[in-house]
Amino acid sequence: MAFNLTRRKFLQTASLAAASVPLSKVVSASTGVSKSALDAKGTAGDKTVVGGICEMCFWRCQLVGKVRDGRLMKLEGNPKSIDNGTAVCARGNAGVKLLYDVDRLKYPMKNVGKRGEPKWKRISWKEALDECGSRLKSTVDQYGAHAICVFPHGASAKYPMHYFERAVGTHNVSESSFFQCRGIRDTAYVATINKAPGEKIDMPNTKVLFFIGDHLGENVHISHIKQYIQGLQNGAKLIVADPRFSASAAKADIWVQIKPGTDTAYILAIMNYLVQNNKYDKEFVEDYTDGFEEFAKAIKEWTLEKAAKECDIPAKQIKEVAEMLAANAPNVAIHPGRYVSWHGNDFQRQRALACLTGILGAYYVKGGWVPAKGPKVKGVSWAKEDHGHKYDLNYDHQEDENIYPYSPPGTPTELIRDCAISGKPYPIKSCVVWGQNPMQTIPNQQKTKDLFNAMDFVMCVDVMPTDVTAWADILLPEVSYLERYDYIKKGTQWDLSQEHQQYIAARMPLVDPMFERKDQVYICNELAKRMGHGDKIPVKTIEEMVDKSLASVDLSIEQLRAEDGIHIMPGKDPYGVPEDFEVLLYNEDIEDAGYPGAPTYVTVPDNPKGFARLIYGRAPVHSFNRSQNNVWLHNAMPDNPVWVNDEVAAQIGLIDGDTVGFVNSEGVESTTTTTVKVTAGIRKDCVYMYHGYGSANPLLTTGVGAGVDETSLITKLAVDPETGCNGMRNNFVKLIKNGKVLDIPA
Amino acid sequence: MQYGMIIDLERCVGCHACTIACRAEWEVPVPYQRNWVKRLGPTMTDYGMTATYYPGLCNHCDKPPCVDECPAEAVDMTFTDAKSGKTKTMKVTATWKDPFDGTVQIDKDRCLGCGACADACPYGARYINPAQADDISEGKADKCSYCKPRVDQGLVPACVLTCITDARIFGDLDDPKSAVSQYVKKGAKGLEVKDGHIGPNSMYFGKKKDMALLFADYTPKLADMGSVKRRAMMASMVKPAMRKAKEIGVLGLAGAMLVKGLPENDEK
Repeated sequence: MAFNLTRRKFLQTASLAAASVPLSKVVSASTGVSKSALDAKGTAGDKTVVGGICEMCFWRCQLVGKVRDGRLMKLEGNPKSIDNGTAVCARGNAGVKLLYDVDRLKYPMKNVGKRGEPKWKRISWKEALDECGSRLKSTVDQYGAHAICVFPHGASAKYPMHYFERAVGTHNVSESSFFQCRGIRDTAYVATINKAPGEKIDMPNTKVLFFIGDHLGENVHISHIKQYIQGLQNGAKLIVADPRFSASAAKADIWVQIKPGTDTAYILAIMNYLVQNNKYDKEFVEDYTDGFEEFAKAIKEWTLEKAAKECDIPAKQIKEVAEMLAANAPNVAIHPGRYVSWHGNDFQRQRALACLTGILGAYYVKGGWVPAKGPKVKGVSWAKEDHGHKYDLNYDHQEDENIYPYSPPGTPTELIRDCAISGKPYPIKSCVVWGQNPMQTIPNQQKTKDLFNAMDFVMCVDVMPTDVTAWADILLPEVSYLERYDYIKKGTQWDLSQEHQQYIAARMPLVDPMFERKDQVYICNELAKRMGHGDKIPVKTIEEMVDKSLASVDLSIEQLRAEDGIHIMPGKDPYGVPEDFEVLLYNEDIEDAGYPGAPTYVTVPDNPKGFARLIYGRAPVHSFNRSQNNVWLHNAMPDNPVWVNDEVAAQIGLIDGDTVGFVNSEGVESTTTTTVKVTAGIRKDCVYMYHGYGSANPLLTTGVGAGVDETSLITKLAVDPETGCNGMRNNFVKLIKNGKVLDIPA
Repeated sequence: MQYGMIIDLERCVGCHACTIACRAEWEVPVPYQRNWVKRLGPTMTDYGMTATYYPGLCNHCDKPPCVDECPAEAVDMTFTDAKSGKTKTMKVTATWKDPFDGTVQIDKDRCLGCGACADACPYGARYINPAQADDISEGKADKCSYCKPRVDQGLVPACVLTCITDARIFGDLDDPKSAVSQYVKKGAKGLEVKDGHIGPNSMYFGKKKDMALLFADYTPKLADMGSVKRRAMMASMVKPAMRKAKEIGVLGLAGAMLVKGLPENDEK
């Protein structure tokens, strides 16, 4: 075997074996069988440290660490957890490889090269903070607070995000978790039931699960997966609408192989069938909904036949699904989705899902949408301040209303980016990136590069190098979730049919930070002092922030630690519709704002001839791009094979395992390649890849160039008109094999 | 007693938690593995569109073909039953099937790292771990031990502990009341070889279509024992030389020298 062993690689593999192990036998007391010193010890004898809250993704399972001689060997679920239990997913288990990733940021760095082509010079924290503070302050002094834009993501970004929004006073904050992910879901449900829905469906106790694009199993959040599997084990039927035979479709009773972009038409047809055939929940509609008449009228055109044609699925299958839902209502779980920024017509689809839940009477009932009653813990952060609408890019001063009335909190990304690039209506001159990688969250990378090039100053704070950190002037190393206090996780037992319990857990460090990494409260406070906001600093340390917050429920870090990291208390019965609950089937405010008041299907652009629609989703072993450099996770799924329909593949001469690149309909080519997965399990008009691969930053020595960055191929922009969020599935690609561009047959 | 593991494919979502937990627990270096998850399909089968997973690991077979091939010198070893305290002495090479719990284990000190056992395993469940090299080998055979050191202490295997859907069930197949035995009664099956009966004790349970796809794709054949035996013979021939090296060398020193001498071409 050709094995190009390098010093670093050797140390990577050998370091765990810790060469200091004495070469003597250890005899097991229980079996008498001698155990070689060469054998890995196993973690059973290691010290258990409590208080871990995972952040390999954002579900935040509760952990314990297994620590040997100061080194974190393993992460396990906290046995006391009523959420994830002892379970940890692949990413959670691989947290130790993030912690000790040799490529992690270690020291403050200054870019002495160009943005995008950096040359890094190690500098002191004092120099780094002085430069960040003075540059940001001069932006504020010269142009105003609104001249700073912020791209935050994750628990560590919350405190600094509040600082820039509240104390500094810029509206120009764009969270990828809202504007490129779940924001549309939240505001569409707020516009329908006055609540963000989360993923709060009572799956273990339902009779039917209804998924539009949800691919649980590839999308892994532990307690959510536990609920899903428990539901199936209890006999629930599963309906999955997806152009692809996803992990969930493989467990489904009915797979609806829907044409991408037409989901709203499908849901409207189901609802219309229920209405026309008197199969909706009349009592619930009478008691708890508003606007039924207008709603019924608006969706009337959506006959089974019309939707069947539009969605490219059999009419009788739509009927079968509608009948199944009606027969089992109200104990049906209509999944609100999580990542929903798809086609730029998404607000209406999310409204349709909320309305479907309503006419089935599936709110607050067993097996329906049921928000478990968790404990309330007060957050501690920067004091809120009103900065008016003057510099709010999402405000139309002539009409005196928001441009995107159903925008999630923050400012729609495209408004910020366009303003930064054009300088209109005002200049944006500094950019703060905290834990987000806008290069691989926001479509059209060229525009993002243009944004950075228009800045006077760019600073990034992260744990790892990413594709965006290459654009920083100053790059600051942050402690990871395993080395700091911060997030307070709260919730209930995952199965609502079990004894009602609530829990509170606070993130505590499992090991000490290494190198010169600092936490967000330290970094942000030091910036605030230098920007003239020292008097507004709410807490001196991150520990104080957590302790103050816990004090609101008569807890403390010390107390939580004494309780093995999780405080458990009696819960409350979540079932029963609140008296003031109302489902706005027809929402007059939406109509007044100039958009359809009843859920409405808006068509999306069709494939140009010779192109396939590019769709993408989650890999179970990765959280988007964030985990790509993790040695264990990379090894588990080293690239993101592109799914190509088997008949299409045969026609264009592709076989399983071929290496291909891509070109999109705007002529943008992928810079890397991936392999082909030939399968009958995808429609002919689209291709599918896992999201987040193809990192371009060479400082990610494991993840760089692994697979294809599908975001690089998403150049055509779609903006959801009600919310201002991005739609990213209106891009089309051809495959390139051996330099030859292959037309996708129609 | 015969330990066994059931993997319930109705519960499994293919998330890889089991494989990564195993890496952490037993310090299994990339790219090697003690267990794996392969995704099967989606593909059209007689039962319609199908996709499932092959979460694989050592089968701790009733008649493990790997054990017979070990060329290491056989020595007397006394085994003690972790539960009853009974003992039994038998002649074993560097790998054996435990007389009490039925698991297949390896003595890393006497393993020559020749790879004959790995070649003999029809499931590819063994590999040579270079991180366990010493002065008589370039690494040691390694594989799933059913987490014996944990199980002997009353803990569950690491993969079972971490499984997010309780799709992995561990227990005694000889105990008719155990959860694993209940699964066998319901139809759980091991991936028995096409051309023999070795009795795999890691078993799968699932929907008909998923089981059909798994068994169609991953039912193995016995290895070509001719080539396995040649490798084992070669290993036993060089054994005396390795023994000699053992008396001189110390791993720590050799390791340190090796690291010093390695190129630094990936440090940027």
